[in-house]
Amino acid sequence: MSGVTRRQLTNLLGALAVAGVLAGLTFGLPAIDDALPAGRPVRADEPYPIGAGVTVEPPHGAVLDVTGTRPGNNQGSVLFRLGLVRYSIVVRPFDGTVAAAAIGLQQRITQTAGYQVTGAQLTITTHSGIAGLQGAYAAPGRGGRYAVFVSDGYLIEVTVSGADLDLGRTLPAIEASTRTLTAADPA
Amino acid sequence: MTERSEGHEGMSDVRPARPAPPRRPALWIVLGLLAAGAVRMGFVGARFAGSYPIATLTAVLLFALLAVPFWVFVSELDFLEREPMPLLVVAFAWGGLVATAASIPGSAALEDLIAKLGSPHLAADWGAALAAPTVEEIAKTLGIVAIVLIARDQVNSVLDGVVYGAMVGLGFQIVEDIVFALGAVALAGQGDHVQPVIATFLLRGFLSGVWSHTLFGAFAGAGVGYLLVRTDRPHRARAGMAVLGIGGAWASHVLWNSPLFDGLGNGGLALLLVLLIKGLPPLVGIVWLVRRAHDREAAYYVGHLARLNDPELITARELPVLASGSRRAAARWNAGARGYLTVRRLQRAQARLAVEMSRASCAVSDGSVGLRAQDVREQRTALAALGLREATAAPRSWRQTASTVATTVVAVAVLWVALASLGGA
Repeated sequence: MSGVTRRQLTNLLGALAVAGVLAGLTFGLPAIDDALPAGRPVRADEPYPIGAGVTVEPPHGAVLDVTGTRPGNNQGSVLFRLGLVRYSIVVRPFDGTVAAAAIGLQQRITQTAGYQVTGAQLTITTHSGIAGLQGAYAAPGRGGRYAVFVSDGYLIEVTVSGADLDLGRTLPAIEASTRTLTAADPA
Repeated sequence: MTERSEGHEGMSDVRPARPAPPRRPALWIVLGLLAAGAVRMGFVGARFAGSYPIATLTAVLLFALLAVPFWVFVSELDFLEREPMPLLVVAFAWGGLVATAASIPGSAALEDLIAKLGSPHLAADWGAALAAPTVEEIAKTLGIVAIVLIARDQVNSVLDGVVYGAMVGLGFQIVEDIVFALGAVALAGQGDHVQPVIATFLLRGFLSGVWSHTLFGAFAGAGVGYLLVRTDRPHRARAGMAVLGIGGAWASHVLWNSPLFDGLGNGGLALLLVLLIKGLPPLVGIVWLVRRAHDREAAYYVGHLARLNDPELITARELPVLASGSRRAAARWNAGARGYLTVRRLQRAQARLAVEMSRASCAVSDGSVGLRAQDVREQRTALAALGLREATAAPRSWRQTASTVATTVVAVAVLWVALASLGGA
């Protein structure tokens, strides 16, 4: 009787090695990533460069999450965390109106199952004079705020999300931070 | 005992193709991985299809159409000893389902690690250039290894490695492009619109398609092919060439994704320059490599036919024609509309005869050399019925040269329009 031949065993081990390396890429790398802390201290009240010349003063008590932060010359993003609340700002080139930008962001929010926009949109103006629109959205057990600004060919999108209780506590500081958004002088 | 002549096998980039059943343990594991990849990518596709059905359908159709010329070109590279369709499908599916499914979480995690261990600035500038090539080239190379594990005997030349590597890369490229196109639709936030799909098709499919994953995969495949086939070389040299091939794929990918030369600007000319600077060196490298591998394989198989010295099977003037892809095509066109397919069938029959003769030379033939020769004679008779004595190419005419120049001018014009439509010129 012939059992497993040496050739079959080598073949099996080779295939298992392939599967092992694949598992390393698919699950191992994310596991290592999760094991390392993403938070970095960041100074409040000091303008943080997001990208394309746009800056914001982080709220007190915020931590910079480097996994959601990608500064750049033509676009960029920053992610702050205040406890369990996410405060994200994205800057990218845009040639539409602020109303169109708000509709686009609303559509993306409501594409996530269970999320819906609540209430009416309100106008908002930063201390540096950038006008925008802000609104709110909700999902079961969670809430969120959004704001969009258009300045000198760039779109600035702000989204805040977290559990209702945490959100209520941190929202004043976040709204104050959002009003510190400043765009570079186009000149 | 098998009879292996040094002239055919020992010192060559080619070994006789030996038909053999797939090796079972690896086959089942690879099929399992393909199923897992299909489920994972199916979820990604279903999410997009649910939100953007028209855009999803458009993206799938456009990029599937784009895959056709790439598939034909890659499979035609190995005209003389064609690879089995099921293996080509497995290679393509590995790239499109398994390598993508592994690369999406793997690349994101590696980019995050660059941000954590370096800085967000480093990740923003070089994250895409370092993370994606590292994870994706490993995942794709595993696809070539999987093919070797399933059907080691089918990878019997460096060119075979190129073909399987390119097919894995093609599968990856097409599925990645579809995901990018639908990501652009989601980012636009305008609902189920196809404009972002068209823009992605022009940018990633049309402008970047030539020097993308198909090319990177071909590099890696050449390295793996050399490692397997050149058993006459020391282990260190073979391993070195494999590392060089996979490293070449990685380096080409890094160069393509890198922020180098981004400072040239956003104008049409600047975009064209960046495309050429980043894309042309790897393209020239792979063209040289493929040509060399093809010529060596052609010399090996045509060498077998040359020894027949039977003009019924192949004439002296047909030998160099069969050995060259461009001359094979020229011979078909030279036969006119009626003779095109007949010449192609004759060339296919001659190629199959050569492959069977190579197998017979080391006692792995199924004994069908006579049948293959008979097939060639039948095609020769069909050709004679059209009034053609042999399948050869006419000297290049001024019309052909003018046609080539005109085609090039049109291609450059289309490229320029595409660049301009993307906001360049």
